[in-house]
Amino acid sequence: MATDSMTVRSKVGDFIRRNPTIVVGATLLALITLAALFAPFIARDPIAFEPINRLRGPSADFWLGTDSLGRDVYARMIYGARISLLVGLLVALISIISGAVIGLLAGYFSKVDAVVMRLMDGIMAIPSILLAIALVALLGSSVKVVIIAIAIPEIPRVTRLVRAVVLSVRDLPFVEAARSNGTRVTKLLRRHILPSTVAPLIVQATYICASAILTEAGLSFLGAGTPPEFPTWGNMIASSRLYLQIAPWTIFAPGICLALVVLAVNLLGDGLRDRLDPRISRRM
Amino acid sequence: MLSYILRRLLGVIPVMVVVGVFVFSLLHLAPGDPAAIIAGDNATEASIARIRASLGLDRPLLEQFGKWAWATVQGDLGVSMFSNVPVTELVQQRMGPTFSLAFTTMAVAVIIAVTLGVLAAWKAGSLLDRAVMGLAVTGFSVPVFVVGYIMVYFIALQWRWLPVQGYTPMSEGLWPWLRHLILPSFALGLAYVALIARITRASMLEVLAEDYIRTASAKGVATMPMLLRHALKNAAVPIITVIGIGVALLISGVVITESVFNIPGIGRLVVDAISRRDYPIIQGVMIIFAAIYVLINLVIDISYSFIDPRIRYS
Amino acid sequence: MTSSRRSILKAGAAAAALTGIGAPHVARAQQRPPRQVRMVPHGDLNVLDPIWTTQNMAAYHGAMMYDTLFGIDANFNPQPQMVGKTDISADRKTYTFELRPGLKWHDGTDVTARDCVASIRRWQARDGAGQHLFERVADTPVVDAKTFRIVLKEPYGLLIDALAKTSTPLCVMMKAEIAATDPNTQITKHIGSGPFKFIESEYRPGSRVVYERNPDYVPRSEPASGIAGGKRVLLDKVIWDIIPDAQTAASALMAGEVDFFEVPPIDILPTLIASPGIKTEVLSKLGNVGQVRLNHLHPPFNNLAARKAAQLAINQEDIQRAAIGNSSYYRTCGSHFTCGSAMGVEDGSEALMLKAPMAERQAKARELLKQSGYDGKPIVLLHATNIHVMNQTMLVVAQNLRQVGFNVQLASTDWGAVVTRRSNQNPPDQGGWNVFYTWSGGNATSSPISLFAHAAIGKKAWFGWPENADIEKMRTEWAYAANLEARKGVASRINKTMMDYVHDVKTGQWVQPAVYRGDRIRGLLAVPEVVPWWNVERYA
Repeated sequence: MATDSMTVRSKVGDFIRRNPTIVVGATLLALITLAALFAPFIARDPIAFEPINRLRGPSADFWLGTDSLGRDVYARMIYGARISLLVGLLVALISIISGAVIGLLAGYFSKVDAVVMRLMDGIMAIPSILLAIALVALLGSSVKVVIIAIAIPEIPRVTRLVRAVVLSVRDLPFVEAARSNGTRVTKLLRRHILPSTVAPLIVQATYICASAILTEAGLSFLGAGTPPEFPTWGNMIASSRLYLQIAPWTIFAPGICLALVVLAVNLLGDGLRDRLDPRISRRM
Repeated sequence: MLSYILRRLLGVIPVMVVVGVFVFSLLHLAPGDPAAIIAGDNATEASIARIRASLGLDRPLLEQFGKWAWATVQGDLGVSMFSNVPVTELVQQRMGPTFSLAFTTMAVAVIIAVTLGVLAAWKAGSLLDRAVMGLAVTGFSVPVFVVGYIMVYFIALQWRWLPVQGYTPMSEGLWPWLRHLILPSFALGLAYVALIARITRASMLEVLAEDYIRTASAKGVATMPMLLRHALKNAAVPIITVIGIGVALLISGVVITESVFNIPGIGRLVVDAISRRDYPIIQGVMIIFAAIYVLINLVIDISYSFIDPRIRYS
Repeated sequence: MTSSRRSILKAGAAAAALTGIGAPHVARAQQRPPRQVRMVPHGDLNVLDPIWTTQNMAAYHGAMMYDTLFGIDANFNPQPQMVGKTDISADRKTYTFELRPGLKWHDGTDVTARDCVASIRRWQARDGAGQHLFERVADTPVVDAKTFRIVLKEPYGLLIDALAKTSTPLCVMMKAEIAATDPNTQITKHIGSGPFKFIESEYRPGSRVVYERNPDYVPRSEPASGIAGGKRVLLDKVIWDIIPDAQTAASALMAGEVDFFEVPPIDILPTLIASPGIKTEVLSKLGNVGQVRLNHLHPPFNNLAARKAAQLAINQEDIQRAAIGNSSYYRTCGSHFTCGSAMGVEDGSEALMLKAPMAERQAKARELLKQSGYDGKPIVLLHATNIHVMNQTMLVVAQNLRQVGFNVQLASTDWGAVVTRRSNQNPPDQGGWNVFYTWSGGNATSSPISLFAHAAIGKKAWFGWPENADIEKMRTEWAYAANLEARKGVASRINKTMMDYVHDVKTGQWVQPAVYRGDRIRGLLAVPEVVPWWNVERYA
């Protein structure tokens, strides 16, 4: 018994020592996600307000002060985690899954390739933020629209990535063998080609997630972000930018959270990439 | 080589068509009425309708698209619905500031990032590596406008070293031009350092793992000069690739920076146009950006073959 | 590093002075500062035709480069400007105007009566007060090169007021061939007769507008007051720097890169005033009046009880606090016609229960809402997020309405989308709306006929489409009233009716202070709805 727990502990300790970035990143993310999940238990309503309370500094009643409407900054920061994390997660998921499907098809079927890649080039040629602003201006400001507006410009890059992997793997002997065995195309794609794409896709997903959270802030700055009633760190920062000198807590609370999460996700991505790339992990 | 270039140039056409159709439909199919905005708050429904008619906005969509597409192909991007100034003239006025900002930002980002990337690759796996890459990522983690405001508050307002906002063209002096661009370039450039440093580090590591480097190292040749001479040259391809990607991303970053530092560039032109639903400007600028993007990619692809002789195009 | 650089410079300067190299530099330092001012206006000048659009920026532009026949002074009384002699016939139906001498267009030609008549006709096609006037105009004959007449079908007391107003569109004078342009298309040439010249070659839409002093302008002899009196220009150049980001504009003012910031957000006013050299002043004393427009065409607000519930629920004090912040700059108001103006009578405002505690008002509102038979269907609030006051106001209004039982759905978009959607008369779930918010200038709002929003003509009215025959009858009565006292009486009755009918819901008033480098410029004129630059001098 003693030896088992010691082995587990030493294995964990080993893992932490070998992959500090992954551990730090994952821990930070886990903590913030927990806070977001338990928001109703640790904070009051982030939307209700009394204008008479506006722009008050941190106090016993409002731990991180109030914003320009009198809303509780601490509560909005905690609830803001929900939408900010959701935006990051969903954008990453949507772009990765769409990009993977399109990339797989384009890489494997050359007829699909020609058409699809032109389309992807077209989307890449339009500056992503202008596309996002236009979409939000046109379809109205809601979390759904913002997620789609941020996800669409990410799809072509993922497609390219997957397509490149598929192209390099498609004519390898083991795939040839499976094909000549009469394996159906979908099974071929899923069982033999897809696994090679998983590692780079996971790493890419983390970068997309981090970038999406930041882009949401940028869109809020330009007036094309999520509706200001519901807090996200991005729209909290953007709507408080006038108050940098008057009420700095309104910017720093969400700003630090945003920076921490983006940092955490990036560290996770860097760590995973180093781990999954054999050339680098060998040097370590 | 020549046939490759020709083929690529031809391939540009379908891409531009996709962009044109996409942008036009996006604008015209969705709610937004420039006529109402032009008319102003005190106007009647009748006068709004008359303005709409005078701008040709009540014609069927296909007819509007056809007219616009035909004119665009001939280089006529139309005039702003509001100021009546030709779109090409507006873009010309604002090219200078945007390109200046993009150029200085890229310079700042590349210099800092390549340095950091080489450093991290040299000591890969060590604490220095982690610290350097962590630093790079920090620059990317804070929204550009927050970095911008903080920089302006300290450097421009408190210490008065640099101006708060604005832009002077190079024709009015090199130093005035530069001093207005220093803060915006750094605020924006830091966001790209992480991306470029990451790729630099990765491709340097690839090269360092090559046999000939390991042989030289075993022979006792010092690592740093070797890195700089051989590895950097061979790592140029992916670095240039990411610079190309960076330029495309840069246009997005420039939009925010131009707003914060009041640089009269194309980014702000388009953002203002979108909020007013000034269709000719939005459509015209998107087409121009698409063309620039496609051109830059072509140039980069061609430059590959000059840098890396192993890459050949059949 | 900085100090050693400075000491080297100092040493170098001393050396240069000794050898006389620095002499021209010293002479330059003793010269007067450039006579120019950089202003950051509230918006962008993207339309150059002050008649074609009712955007305020175009009105500012109009006031700079064009001139008007009459202009209101600081007490809102119309005074002659381009007109030298006015003659009103005994039956008050014929007005004869003779232009004063010395008026020239920027291209050197003389201003003629023909130009004026053409300009008035183009203006009235696009202006509410002008249209009201011209329904009673029989003819506008030109008598000679300097004289013209306006012949009415019946007496109309507000003729000169209409020509003198500063609310957009101003009745500016243009050359006849330019004024001949269809009122529904923009003019393409810009030639005025005003105290400033518009420098078209330096105009950068969205970025910069440049005006230069018109050396041939002959100002009147009276002192400047409002846009009346002598428009003496003491500057050589006025530059409008378009800086949309308020934080950047504020920093630019503090650093001295601009001299005047028209609409600083009131929350950062303390920071600005604390900065050396910066002064603040309210130039438009009547300020702005906020209004929540309810959609009278569709449920629930086609029902009087539901409208009354909304009127009671909406809390002016909270809205102003959230949107403006500093109580020295805002006030609540029980009038539909700008408190503080001549017509700002608060009779009939008992319906608002302004003095009652909020809990009592909300209880009454809930009762009224139940009476109306409201079914709980969501109501659509058009929420413009990119304009600070609108953003804050609608968030408070949404909460106010929710607190009394309305099921509120916020449609958050930019202002452009609101402007588009508000003109849609369909039901809210088919592209229409229930509630939207905007504000209008205090000056325009103080007149029952000048502001189109006051009309209650149903589907042809302004957005919201209120319909009330009594209000319309009284509005015409107001226009024909014999004098100020009579007009006040009519206004009082209109106000009561509007309150009982719930024409729309006003959200209070505020004044917007401007901030400027008091250590460099002085002489700013307080004028509503335009920002004139004559009379201002640069002294440091």
